[in-house]
Amino acid sequence: MTRLPTRHDEEWRWADLRHADAFAGTPAPANDSLPDAEPHWLDLPGERRLFAAGHAIDRATETPEADPQAPQHPLADLARVAATAGTRIALADGEDGGTVQILHIGTTGSAHGVTRLMLGAGARLTLIESFADDDHDHWLNHRLDAELGAGASLTRIVRLRTSHGLVSERAYVTLGPDARFTQLAVASANGSARSEVLVRHDGAGAHADVNGILLGDGAAALDALTRLEHRVPDTTSGQVWRLVAAGKSQLSVSGGVNVARHAQKTDAEQSLKALVLKRTASANLKPELEIFADDVKCAHGCTVGELDRAGLFYLQSRGIPPHEAEALLTRAFVADALSAIADPALREALDTETRLWLEQRT
Amino acid sequence: MLKIENLHATVGTREILKGLTLSVNAGEVHAIMGPNGAGKSTLAHVLAGREGYEVTSGSVTFDGKELLELAPYERAAAGLFLGFQYPVEIPGVSNLLFLRTAMNAQRKLRGEGEISGAEFMKRVREESAVLGLDMEMLKRGVNVGFSGGEKKRNEAFQLGMLAPKFALLDETDSGLDIDALRIVSEGINRFRSPERAVLLITHYQRLLDHVRPDFVHVLAGGRIVKSGGPELAHALEAEGYEGIAA
Repeated sequence: MTRLPTRHDEEWRWADLRHADAFAGTPAPANDSLPDAEPHWLDLPGERRLFAAGHAIDRATETPEADPQAPQHPLADLARVAATAGTRIALADGEDGGTVQILHIGTTGSAHGVTRLMLGAGARLTLIESFADDDHDHWLNHRLDAELGAGASLTRIVRLRTSHGLVSERAYVTLGPDARFTQLAVASANGSARSEVLVRHDGAGAHADVNGILLGDGAAALDALTRLEHRVPDTTSGQVWRLVAAGKSQLSVSGGVNVARHAQKTDAEQSLKALVLKRTASANLKPELEIFADDVKCAHGCTVGELDRAGLFYLQSRGIPPHEAEALLTRAFVADALSAIADPALREALDTETRLWLEQRT
Repeated sequence: MLKIENLHATVGTREILKGLTLSVNAGEVHAIMGPNGAGKSTLAHVLAGREGYEVTSGSVTFDGKELLELAPYERAAAGLFLGFQYPVEIPGVSNLLFLRTAMNAQRKLRGEGEISGAEFMKRVREESAVLGLDMEMLKRGVNVGFSGGEKKRNEAFQLGMLAPKFALLDETDSGLDIDALRIVSEGINRFRSPERAVLLITHYQRLLDHVRPDFVHVLAGGRIVKSGGPELAHALEAEGYEGIAA
C-alpha cells in the first residue's frame, strides 16, 4: 500500500491526516440505511449524483480511468487504486453540460472516488462536488482529473462540509489553448479537510481562477494547497483565498505559482488573507512562487489579521449588535473570493451558505 | 433628555474629562467649542461607548436611563446618534446593506417590525436627494472612495435615515468646503424638532452660522468653563479660547 504522507513532508506540514491513518485499512461497509443527503445539496437546477460511503445510490457503479498523465501523488494514487465511487463526464466539442452536482457522504471507514472530466473544444460544464458526513468519524478521499480542450470552460465548486473525520481531495486539471478553469473551494467544517489542486496551463491564452474560502470553527483543521503551472507563454491565473478562523481551528493555505523558463507574458495574481476571530485559532499562509521566465507579472499579497476594531465600533454605533457586526465585516472579507463565480444564482447560493455559517458561528 | 453630571474619564492612564457637567433638553441645540486637546472628542466617544475610554466617576442619563450601562448598539437603539469626525471606510459592505441592517437591528431591539424594502428605498430616495448623494454611491462600500466632504454628507444621510432622538455630531464641519458645509447644515436643520436635541462639537464658529445653537459651551481642561448663547461663539472667534476661557 502507498505510504501515507506525514507532517515531516513539507507539503503536508499542516495537514491533519489522523483519520487517514486510522481508516486506511478499513473500507466503508455498504450500508442499507441512507444518510440524509437533503441538507447538503445546493438549491440549484441540474443533474444530481449521490454517493454514500463510496457507493453510488440509484445508479450503476462506474470506475473511470484516472488520467494516465497525472503525476504521482500519495493520496490521489490511492484514490485511483481503491475507488468505488466514480463519475465520468465527457463532453463533445461545443457541448454544454449544464450544471452537475455530485455529493459524497462519508459514514464510517474509508471511501475513495475518482471524477474524470473530458471537455472537448469549446465545451462547458459547471460541476459542484460536495463532501459531507453523517456525524461519524470517516475518511473520504477523492481525485478529479480534468482535461479541457481549446476554449473549453469548467467551473468547479468544491464544498467541504465535514463535521467529523477527514475529506481529502485533489484535482489535476490541464488547460488547452484559451481554456478557462474557475474553481472555488468552500470549506465550512468542524472536521478536517485537505484540498489540493494542480493546474497545468498547456495552451496559450489559458486562464485559471483558483479561489477558496476556508471557514473553521471548533477543532477544524482545514488545509489547502495549490500549484498553478504556467508551462507555455501567454497564460494567466488568479488566486484569491480568504480564511476565517474561529474556535480552536487551524487553517492553512499554501498557494503555489510556477512559471516555466519559456513561459513569457505569464500574468499570475495571488491574494491570500486570513482573519483570526479568536486568539485560540490560527492561520498559516504560504505563498510559493517559482519563476524562471523574465517577462512575467506575478503580483502577490498575503495578510493575517483580526477584524478592524474601528469598523466594528462604527457598525455598533449605528445599532448593530457585536455578533452581527462581526458577521457583516467577515462576509465582506470573504466576498472577493466569490466574485470569480460568473453565474449569479450559483454565487448567491454560495454567498447565502457563507452568510449562514457566519451568523451561526461568530 | 441628556444629563451629564461630574463626568470623569480616562484614556489609558491620562484623565481627559475632569468633572464635566452638561444638560441638554429636547428641542435644544447645544454647541461645545474648545481648543485642541480639551476633551471634545473624548466626550463624544465616552457618550457613544467606544472601548478604551474609561469613565472613572460621574453619571450620564439619557431619557431617564443610565446611558453608561448600555452597550454601544443599545445606545443607538435608545436614540443616540454619533456623527463621526473621521467616518470609517468598510469595503465590501454597501451603504444600503449597512443602513438597512442598522435600521432593522434598532427596530428589533425596540420591539418594532422590520422595515419593508419599498419603505426603505422610499426613505433612501428622500434623504439622499437632500444631501446630494446618488444611488451609485450608496451601492458602494460604506464610505469607500468617498471624499472627506462626501463622508460627512453620508453621516448626515445616516442621521436622516435612522432618525434618532439625539444627534451628537463630532466636528461634522471639519474637512468641508463652503458648499458641503451648507448641505450638511441643511441636513442637521432638517433634523431639528421639539422632540429632538443636537449637541454639536466644533472648533470653529462657521458651522454655527448655518446651524444656530441655543446654547454655546466652552470646554477646556476637561470641563465646561463657560456657557452662554450664540453670541459666545462670536466672542470666541474674535478673542480666541485663551481670552474667554481664562
